[in-house]
Amino acid sequence: MSKRVSNAVRYKNPLPIHPLELPELIIHNPVSWVYWTYCYITGCNTLQHKIHVDIVNNGIVHIEVRNQDDMKYLWENGFFGTGQLSRSEPTWYNHMQSRFQSEENGTADKKISLEQVTKFRRQQRTEFKKQRELVEAKLLNLRKKGELSPEEETRILEQEREKLRKFKDDQLALHLLKENRNDNLEEQERLLIQEAEVINENGEIRQLESLELMPVETLFLSFALDVLDVTPSDFIIKHCMDNSFDYTDELHKLLIQYSAYHHYRSHGWCVRSGIKFGSDYILYKRGPPFQHADFCVMVLDSNCSKPYTWYSTMARVCGGANKTLLLCYVERINSKEQILQYIRQGHISKAFNSFTVGEVIYKRWVPGKNRD
Amino acid sequence: MSTATNQDTDLNLDEDEVIQDWSDISKIQNDNPILSIPKRGEKDYEPDGTDIQELLLYRAKKAMFDTLENSVRGSTSKSQVKGYYIPDKHIAMVPYAKGNFVQSMGETDKDGTLWLHFFEFLYLAERGTITPFWKAYGNNVELPLSIEDLYSYFKTQKEMDNFSIYAHLKRLGFIVRSSDQYIITKNNTSFYPPMNFKSYTIGSMRNIINRISSTFTYTGISLFNGIIFSQWHFYLRRYRSSPDIYESLNKLISYHKIPHSITDLRHEYSSLKRSTSNSTPTSLHITFNIWKPNPTFKKKYPELPDYQVVTYNKNMTNQSFPTFNELEALFRSLDYKFNFIEHSSNTDFWNKNTYNNGVLREDILNDLTNNARNKNKQPKIVTKKPTENKNKKPGKELPPHIQQLKRLKNGYRSFLLAIMDNGIVSFAKISEADFGSENVWYVPPPKGTIGRPNKNWRKTNKSKDNHRKEKEQSEIK
Repeated sequence: MSKRVSNAVRYKNPLPIHPLELPELIIHNPVSWVYWTYCYITGCNTLQHKIHVDIVNNGIVHIEVRNQDDMKYLWENGFFGTGQLSRSEPTWYNHMQSRFQSEENGTADKKISLEQVTKFRRQQRTEFKKQRELVEAKLLNLRKKGELSPEEETRILEQEREKLRKFKDDQLALHLLKENRNDNLEEQERLLIQEAEVINENGEIRQLESLELMPVETLFLSFALDVLDVTPSDFIIKHCMDNSFDYTDELHKLLIQYSAYHHYRSHGWCVRSGIKFGSDYILYKRGPPFQHADFCVMVLDSNCSKPYTWYSTMARVCGGANKTLLLCYVERINSKEQILQYIRQGHISKAFNSFTVGEVIYKRWVPGKNRD
Repeated sequence: MSTATNQDTDLNLDEDEVIQDWSDISKIQNDNPILSIPKRGEKDYEPDGTDIQELLLYRAKKAMFDTLENSVRGSTSKSQVKGYYIPDKHIAMVPYAKGNFVQSMGETDKDGTLWLHFFEFLYLAERGTITPFWKAYGNNVELPLSIEDLYSYFKTQKEMDNFSIYAHLKRLGFIVRSSDQYIITKNNTSFYPPMNFKSYTIGSMRNIINRISSTFTYTGISLFNGIIFSQWHFYLRRYRSSPDIYESLNKLISYHKIPHSITDLRHEYSSLKRSTSNSTPTSLHITFNIWKPNPTFKKKYPELPDYQVVTYNKNMTNQSFPTFNELEALFRSLDYKFNFIEHSSNTDFWNKNTYNNGVLREDILNDLTNNARNKNKQPKIVTKKPTENKNKKPGKELPPHIQQLKRLKNGYRSFLLAIMDNGIVSFAKISEADFGSENVWYVPPPKGTIGRPNKNWRKTNKSKDNHRKEKEQSEIK
């Protein structure tokens, strides 16, 4: 219970801009009117200071937030950005610290981070695959010798299968053990710490992680919410157009990607990168800590037609992850020149006004399961 | 974990994504050796050049051919039905048709002769239901035809693809009829009432009003956006709740309005009827109407189809996957059981909203039952109704956020795209979605209390249950 409540408190606000919290207005109490008005006038939705972003452009644009508090703030208020050394929430520093501390105290920390669990699972999986490959190679060898009848082969197959199954069971048992005591992992981690020189002269852990924002997130935070210290037109012109004044494919892609991003964000979705599922975005109803994402979004030009295999593979991947594939078609209504002019004059909102979105759901349909 | 999510959000949404559980079958195998299903070998992923693989392949093939070879094929001369192919019209006729297929296939004329499309003819011939003959028009010579002969009569690749898709769906038990071709009379079953002068004028008035108001709202919105997205905006305006902030943001990107209700659909239809010029030319169009298996199907007065099928060959160079405009045109041309309409699960709903050749289906059915009663026969349709109603679960109102998720996941109008890839047919359901008219933002609870945003609709004991579920989920994440 406590965890859920703490999540609800921690992620109370869905956007970095918070609504004003005004005192209660009591009709028959004029003092409350005065106080209310005072609060209304002095209150303001904007942040105390704008969040600083570092933009590195060496061929690929990296937008980084390095201030620890800002990183935390952007994550907690709308789940913006991804920690470069973590899965998504920038938790690397905390993990390191707790690991470091537990090492110093000599007490084994029982908590393992999610990242470690995944890492461990993947290791086990590769080991299993190696074993399976060995079995396959062995069988092929026997086949090639030609001394094997199909019946014999089935018998050997059965044997090998049993072995593999046992191997897997052992792995699982091992995994359960590991969760209680993970000496081996700890050892590796210690080595890693020394290698990476994450500790400064004073024996403290250095914060190596920063929060990386997608270009569309940067644009949303600067243009729609105005919480970053870059202006949207600067950002577009400097970093996405390379100061050239052509309507490039790159610019077009940014514009349609942003149109889709803004569309979903502004209707309340928590939009995050969908690269895990090969899509442009995934949509969370509230955010990653609360529930799984329900939708994968692919942003397409409205006159785009891909080969069929593209659609079917996308649908397979999304279906396998229990998500619905949404094709978001963005249509440009104004001419390219017009849009360029808007951007140059700084009328970003007019530029984005030149796009409309239409949506289509693509889903595999199985006749046998839709018969009655 | 997954069960918790399923209970909470799923509710028949993703039935076809559920992975089948084979563990029960293996249990049967262990318990009773007689009932056991034959064990399959290990899957071979690629040719490895060994004799043993060749041997296995040969055995598997032989088993299939043996099964086919040893089974008896053909029909007894008593029950043989002769069908005649008419080359100049590329159709077929069956003078004395008998069998179940008559109920749902072809068109019957006044004399009782059944006329079949070529694909129907070939399907029936291939199944051995009818024996195919060649007959020139007005000629008395009959020549027996082989299946190979029939296959050589296909005019285009497209026709052959359509046949494969047709046969595939038929074999699975669906009732499939061509949606655009007809032999004798065009049987028009539509969701839309026939147009008369009154609806025409009202429609055009509405259209003009809409057009005027839309230009106003457009300029209004662009003005509004200029203010909202200016730098000083957050100093000028004070938002008192997150929804207010979202409301101001979501005017920027406009989205396609799509019909959600009967009124929307009818309005779009009537405005389209007037302006036929703006239809986008597309290589794809609806080819088949399909109905789920239904023993009471009437080909003269069919219900609206359950699905409509667009066929598409992925390997043809002159066809490409539809663009958004083409998809829109396809959506607009749909005319089936729009199952997203409210109350459409009600049995009577569709009879009240289907027009067979311009006549309300309910009236036709009433006439039919009255006639039947006059002739002292069993009033079939009347007795049928109550049993259908029993199958319906008592109306269970789903909580609003689940209803919303359902709307978002299922979308609105949809069609089936049948994809032909070198003889292999697969299907995709393509639906219009509308995320623009749904808001999913989270409303923080008033100060001091923390709970579910929509706790009002459920009893407390249930919401406790939900708390637990949500807790489980968040722990795992």
